[in-house]
Parts: sequence; C-alpha cells; structure tokens
Amino acid sequence: MSLAAEAFVSQIAAAEPWPENATLYQPLKEDQILLSDSASSLAVQTFLRMCGLPVLVSCRANAEYMSPSGKVPFIHVGNQVVSELGPIVQFTKAKGHSLSDGLDDVQRAEMKAYMELVNNMLLTAELYIQWCDDHTATEISRPRYSSPYSWPLNHILAYQKQWEVRRKMNAIGWSGKSLEQVYEDVSQCCQALSQRLGTQPYFFSKQPTELDALVFGHLFTILTTQLTNDELAEKVKSYTNLLSFCHRIEQTYFKEHERESQSGSSRHSKGSLP
Amino acid sequence: MAAPLELFCWKGDYGLPSVDVDCLTVLAYAKFAGAPLKVHKITNPWRSPTGTLPALKTREEGSISQPSKIIIHLRKQKYNADYDLSAKEGADTLAFVSLLEEKLLPALIYTLWIDSKNYVDVTRRWYAENISFPLNFLLPNRMHCQQLEKLRLVRGDPVLEPGEQLEKELYRDAFECMTLLSQRLGSQKFFFGDSPSSLDAYVFAHLAPLLKIKLPNGKLQQHLTSLNNLQQYCTNILALYFPSDAREAPGRKTHAQPDSSDLDNEPHKRRNQVLSVLFAVGAMLGYAILTGIVSIKRERPQLKNSGHDDGDEEDED
Repeated sequence: MSLAAEAFVSQIAAAEPWPENATLYQPLKEDQILLSDSASSLAVQTFLRMCGLPVLVSCRANAEYMSPSGKVPFIHVGNQVVSELGPIVQFTKAKGHSLSDGLDDVQRAEMKAYMELVNNMLLTAELYIQWCDDHTATEISRPRYSSPYSWPLNHILAYQKQWEVRRKMNAIGWSGKSLEQVYEDVSQCCQALSQRLGTQPYFFSKQPTELDALVFGHLFTILTTQLTNDELAEKVKSYTNLLSFCHRIEQTYFKEHERESQSGSSRHSKGSLP
Repeated sequence: MAAPLELFCWKGDYGLPSVDVDCLTVLAYAKFAGAPLKVHKITNPWRSPTGTLPALKTREEGSISQPSKIIIHLRKQKYNADYDLSAKEGADTLAFVSLLEEKLLPALIYTLWIDSKNYVDVTRRWYAENISFPLNFLLPNRMHCQQLEKLRLVRGDPVLEPGEQLEKELYRDAFECMTLLSQRLGSQKFFFGDSPSSLDAYVFAHLAPLLKIKLPNGKLQQHLTSLNNLQQYCTNILALYFPSDAREAPGRKTHAQPDSSDLDNEPHKRRNQVLSVLFAVGAMLGYAILTGIVSIKRERPQLKNSGHDDGDEEDED
C-alpha cells in the first residue's frame, strides 16, 4: 500500500465503524495454499478474532494477484484493501481496535522484536523448506501452488515462484544452509519463544497481543500441516509450553466461537492439535 | 598456545574501526569477548580468503565470512560475550537482532548505497579512493548493484525503484526500530546491564556508521542524534573499546578538511595523467589501426585465400 494511500486510509478508517461484510482473501484452502501463506492467513484471522472483529474468509485461486502487495492474506473492509499482518494491525488500530495499548514502551519494543524474530526465522524457514528443499518442492509446493492453472502456465508460474524465493534466500545468506541447519534455526527460534513465554498464558501476561496471534498462526499451521516428513512439527512439539499455548488459543478463539456462532463462512476447518 | 586467528575486514575511517556493518559487528564482538584476533584491515576484498569481507581464517573449518557464523565460531573457542546472559536474555538477543535485520538494515543499505546523493558523494567516493587502482573503477559499482539487488529481494519487489516513496517506507520502519531500541536500552549502559553482549555488537555496528559517517542526506542520522541515549551508547562503546580509532578521528577530521582538497587533487591529478596518457596512446593506436586496417585488409584476402584454398582443397578432396 502506498504511503499517501495509507495516510488517507487511516484518516477515513477512524471515521467508519467495522463493517459486517469485511472479507479476508486467501488462496484455496484445500488444494492450493502453502504452509507459509496458510500460517500468515491464520495469524491475521486470529488477530481479528482477538480484536472481536468479524471477518468472512474467502478462498480465491488468484488471491496472490489480487493483493495490493502481492502477498496473502489481505482484507477488504469497506472501501479499503489492506494486506499482511503489520499493516492490518495499524489499520485496525486506526479504527480504534488495538491489543497492545496496555503495554509499556519496553514491552512494546520487545513485542515488535519478537514479531520480527518470527518473520525473520520461522517464516523464512517455512519458505526455505517449501521451495529450496527439492523433495518438498516437487512433492508438495509446485503441484499445489500451480493447481488452479492448466499446462503450461502451471509449470511456468511454479518455477517462477521457486526461482524468486531461491534468489531471496541467496540474498539473505540462507542458500548455503542445509536442511538440517534450517531445522536447527527453527528449533532455536522456538526455544527463544518458549523462554519468553515461560508459564504465562500469553506472551505479555494475561492479555493477548498481535505477537500471540502471529506465533499461534505459525506454530499451529506447522503442527497441523502434513509435509513430506514431520521433522518440522517435531521441533515445535518438543516445547510443551508452546503446545499448550496453541491449545489455549485454539480453544478460546476458534472452538468457542464456533459453538457460539454457527456461521459456516468463517469456520476454521483445520485438524485439531495432537 | 596456538597463533591467534586472523580476521580480514574493511579498513576504518571517520573514527570507526571499520566502515562496513558486518565487519564492525565482528570487530565489536571480538573486543567484547576479549578474543585475541590478528586483524588485517584491507581495502581489497579479493585479498580475503573467501573473496568477501569480513572473513575469519580458522584452522578446522577453513575460512568463514558470515558474521553470525564467525560469532558462533568464536563462541566455540570459549570467547563468549553472552556467558552471563539468562535464557530469556538469550531469546531477547535473537529477537532484537531480527528486528535490526528486518527494519534497520534495509534503510541503512538504502541510505549508504542507493540514495544517489549519499552514494555518489560519500560511499562511492570513499571506496573509489581507498580501493587500489584497477579495482576502484569496478568494485564500488558492483557493490552498488549487489546492494540494490539485495534490497529488491528482501522487500519482495522485483521492480523496486529508488525514490521518495521507497525512502519514506524504509525510513519509517528504521525510525520506529531506533525508537524501540532506545526505549529498550533506557538508561542502561549496555542492553543487558553492565557488560556488553553479542546484541550490543549488532546494535553498535548498525548505528555507529550512521552516527559517524557524514552524509549529505542525513535523515536517519538526525533521528539517531535525537535519541540521546543511543547516541551516548555508541560514543561510549567507541571510546571504551576502540580508543585508538576514536581518538584518531577528530584529529584526522580537522586535518582532513584542508588536506582533503590536496589529497583529492593528488590522486585525481595522477588519474588524469594516467587517463591522458591512455587517451593519447589510444588515439595513436586508433590512427595506426585506421591506417593499418588498409594494410590488414590487404593481407586478409591473402589469409582468406589461404583459408579458401584449404576449404577448396577439402572440397576437392
């Protein structure tokens, strides 16, 4: 989103209340979406649920191309389209819904830092495993990513995406890493998150913040997604407090909501935790 | 005892021990951990064992270039600046290093390498003056392209063009990052109490260049100087751990002003001389070839004939 548009958005956003027909767009859930996009999408959904803002989830094959930044998920609220968690958090804040108002300056700095940790390590590791591990790329990522398209477009788009991700890995110095090292990084990241969480219900004591939404989005998706092997999920499973953290958020924000409102549109159709 | 490890890094200037962020990180960490390194400050990355700077020559694992890997290696050698940290502080280190890499580094790259005024007046000039002769025409440009490419890929925008829009977005993130760091630091001497850790090495390395290198377009600089505790923090580390570089700076700076024009003229003069000689030689050669072409053309038919003859012979065969 451009900066001028952003300033404009935050101005009018404050004036308008959250509409009933807000929609979140993501790639097709059953056939197309990949681990990293699914995690980001779940993080945004969790964040909106924590704020108590209703949103309909709509799956589109071309969601990536509909998004203003080229990244999924994005939300369509009233007249505005906002993509990715960071801008969405700012957008809802302009509308008067914020989860991190109760934090002091140091806590807010730590929250931002841990959010970048998740983006920098977990998200990058997910992308690495999806596109740079040849086995996963051939078995899962390329066929799924290109499933809505017919030959030859499916191959072109999938290889284009793979090439782009690999060049990115090159630029940030990940291309020299082996799969083992990437699992090690994930483990290190989980270790850090586990240490920070300790025995608290949420990262900053009793109230959930956007960090909780982001961490839940990634960890829950890693735990419930079937990859070529379950080593990634195993890494997460060795941290029991993270597991119970995922359980708690799933219970509070997904199971109860489902019971309360039987609206099928925003149903969360993921398998539950092991 | 074994000989100390050898570290290759960019040479320093502007009162910094090195001008490069990655080199600064490693140098600062080595100082904090008390690792006795034999430091080679060079201006030719091709002379480093890995072809990039920084590079640490190790006995067991060959040469390593990534700052994080160098720090891990030093840690394995028992030079650990994070020994006193609790597990939670270790986690915080990881988180804040991510924050730096995601939010501040892109803006730093932009301000040093992409912003055209800063790049032409300061960065390219420094590298062009310090790298030795034939490479100084080649390397700064290549580094510029690499940095632009890196920024494009990190931002995930293949058609990213430097401009006001991009600058604003990057700087907004960087301002936020600096403010968060300042809030986290508070009135402490270092991020985790009284002794420096690896996080301090990273933060120092990302902030010190902004503080010390005088850039014509200094928006990031201005924001940093408005955060008193961060500015104080960098000055402190420079004074405590790099006293020789820090002391050298002001003296050299005052000298540099009048000197710089002479110093600038000197290499330019020499360059001009070399260029004019090259031009003259080129012109003469050109003339010779121009007239020579005639003679070559005269000879070519013979050559061609012989070639044709060969072909003909083969054909005949």
